Amino acid sequence: MADAVTGNSTDHSVSLRRGLLAAPALLLVVLFIAAPYLSIVVMSVRSPSNLQVYGPGFTLQSYIRILGDRLYLGLLADTLIYAAVTAAVCLVLAYPTALHLARTRSRFRGLLYGALLSPLLTGVVIRCFGWIVLLASQGLVNDSLRAIGIGPVQFLYKPVGVIIAMVHVFLPFMVLPIINAIESIDPRLEEAASTLGASRMAVFRHVILPLSMPGVQSGVTLVFVLAASAYVIPMLLGGGRVQTMATVVVQQLLGGFLWPFGAALALVLSLAVVLVLVVFALATGRAMRRLS
Amino acid sequence: MSRLEIRKLTKLYGTHPAVQSFDLDVAEREFVSLLGPSGCGKTTTLRCVAGLEIPTSGRISLGDREVTRLPPEHRNVGMVFQNYALFPHMTVAENIGFGLKMRGVRGAEARRRVDAAIDMVHLGGLQDRHPRQLSGGQQQRVALARALMGEPALLLLDEPLANLDAKLRDEMRVFIRSIQQQIGISALYVTHDQAEAMTMSDRIVVMFGGSIQQIGSPRDIYYRPATREVANFVGQSNCIAGKVVARQDARVLVETAVGVVRCEGRADVALGATGQVMLRPETIRLARAGGELAGRVTQQHFLGNVIDTRVALADGTIISVQTIGEEAHGVGDDVSVVIDESRAWLMP
Repeated sequence: MADAVTGNSTDHSVSLRRGLLAAPALLLVVLFIAAPYLSIVVMSVRSPSNLQVYGPGFTLQSYIRILGDRLYLGLLADTLIYAAVTAAVCLVLAYPTALHLARTRSRFRGLLYGALLSPLLTGVVIRCFGWIVLLASQGLVNDSLRAIGIGPVQFLYKPVGVIIAMVHVFLPFMVLPIINAIESIDPRLEEAASTLGASRMAVFRHVILPLSMPGVQSGVTLVFVLAASAYVIPMLLGGGRVQTMATVVVQQLLGGFLWPFGAALALVLSLAVVLVLVVFALATGRAMRRLS
Repeated sequence: MSRLEIRKLTKLYGTHPAVQSFDLDVAEREFVSLLGPSGCGKTTTLRCVAGLEIPTSGRISLGDREVTRLPPEHRNVGMVFQNYALFPHMTVAENIGFGLKMRGVRGAEARRRVDAAIDMVHLGGLQDRHPRQLSGGQQQRVALARALMGEPALLLLDEPLANLDAKLRDEMRVFIRSIQQQIGISALYVTHDQAEAMTMSDRIVVMFGGSIQQIGSPRDIYYRPATREVANFVGQSNCIAGKVVARQDARVLVETAVGVVRCEGRADVALGATGQVMLRPETIRLARAGGELAGRVTQQHFLGNVIDTRVALADGTIISVQTIGEEAHGVGDDVSVVIDESRAWLMP
């Protein structure tokens, strides 16, 4: 009995100590994730007020207004479509790049890595202005297109311009996880496949592609999330004529001073993004389960 | 036509020769091991045969076909890798059937052949498992079945037993050898473990520093090593330095610091040539003092299956003697050393 008691108290102190070890991480999560989210949730069910940030009492009015209004549902659909297109284009561009970088034995490997990450060294605003200069009707891109007899094409203040800039800005977030996944594939697997009669194309299809799926999955997730919540890029390249959830949320908060409605819009976007990601995870889940 | 022919194979990495002027023929149904310490070029040689490395110079032929620069997928060789290299996203059956799929064999025919292969390596009931759900020995057998699936002209094995525990290793070496003989395929086997090479091979190629030291049967390698390095690498050995003084029948007489020793030697050994008489510890017997080679027991160790006795000869050379059974002589005893002349070998 005495032993049992001592045992219990030891267990207790062990779990206490473990709790203390987890405390910093827990604090971080509460402070930077749980608390802000909670405050947004609370804000979204406040009643609106013309005089203050919010009025007295709670209401679901903001949600009812969003879900009942084609304008906002259309906006949500546009935002998700831009993000999905951005993720798809990034994937197409990133995969060959990642494949090359992961397997190259070039001594310029470090340099290529650096080149890939270098856009991250410049602020997103600067890069957007760069794209505005390039994509303008008298810009380099349109001049080049004119030279080969196409255009001028209207890029600026159109979704296509926004997507071009988002692809550029978010590309590293697609390349890096895919490089990681490909690098973690044992090169012996490729060798084994080729001794078994697989051509380079078959090795890619049957070995590299399926085994790099975890990287593809995290890259797509990252880029999709970043693109769906992007504000600066649609703001600058859309010039007010391309609206996304993020730009409208900011309008509500700063322009309309409608904090409860803005909070509800932001949450609807978050939930929609989570929903899309769950569907994506389920769709790619079969391939992933076989790997885990 | 599954004969492998390697001529003057050289592989340089930068300016460092990993393999140098390597010549070897592997006959039909023959099991040949490449034996040597790590970095001796044995794996590089194997990878050149598989097509995973392109030789700097030399020629490799499989059957009557030169394959020196042919990519691996066109060579029709089966390879088993040290870490098995099983596809983690495929089941056992899919792994084994991969080669068939690549060759366009599908449907009932493919299923029948995969099932037969699964039976051959005793993995019945595990065909739907994934590699990570298998033990090391089971993974090994999947790798073997997968390599043999396309009826390859040659089976290549790169230290396939290195990751298994000792007991399983013994089992697998018998298993691999019996499958190789059952199918009647030629095999090239890379290992640094002399016991593995001895038990499995028809012939052994001993390699050091990128070149061949000796090619021979396991008995030749063990009892008639070409050099002192080979003798030391393959089991324990005692060496006594001496000079050839005469030839008698098939034997040579070697004058050493402790007396004249009769032993085997190469037919072309010249009178007056110096060399080392190599004695394996278990070919030496100890007898009561008074024989030709006198010595004194300095140490004795019980190793379980054998007793290892260290004997100091008259000139101070210490030799190791291994006997089975009782310790007839204790430390400090004067003894005489009796050599089995047919198992004593003169090395240059």
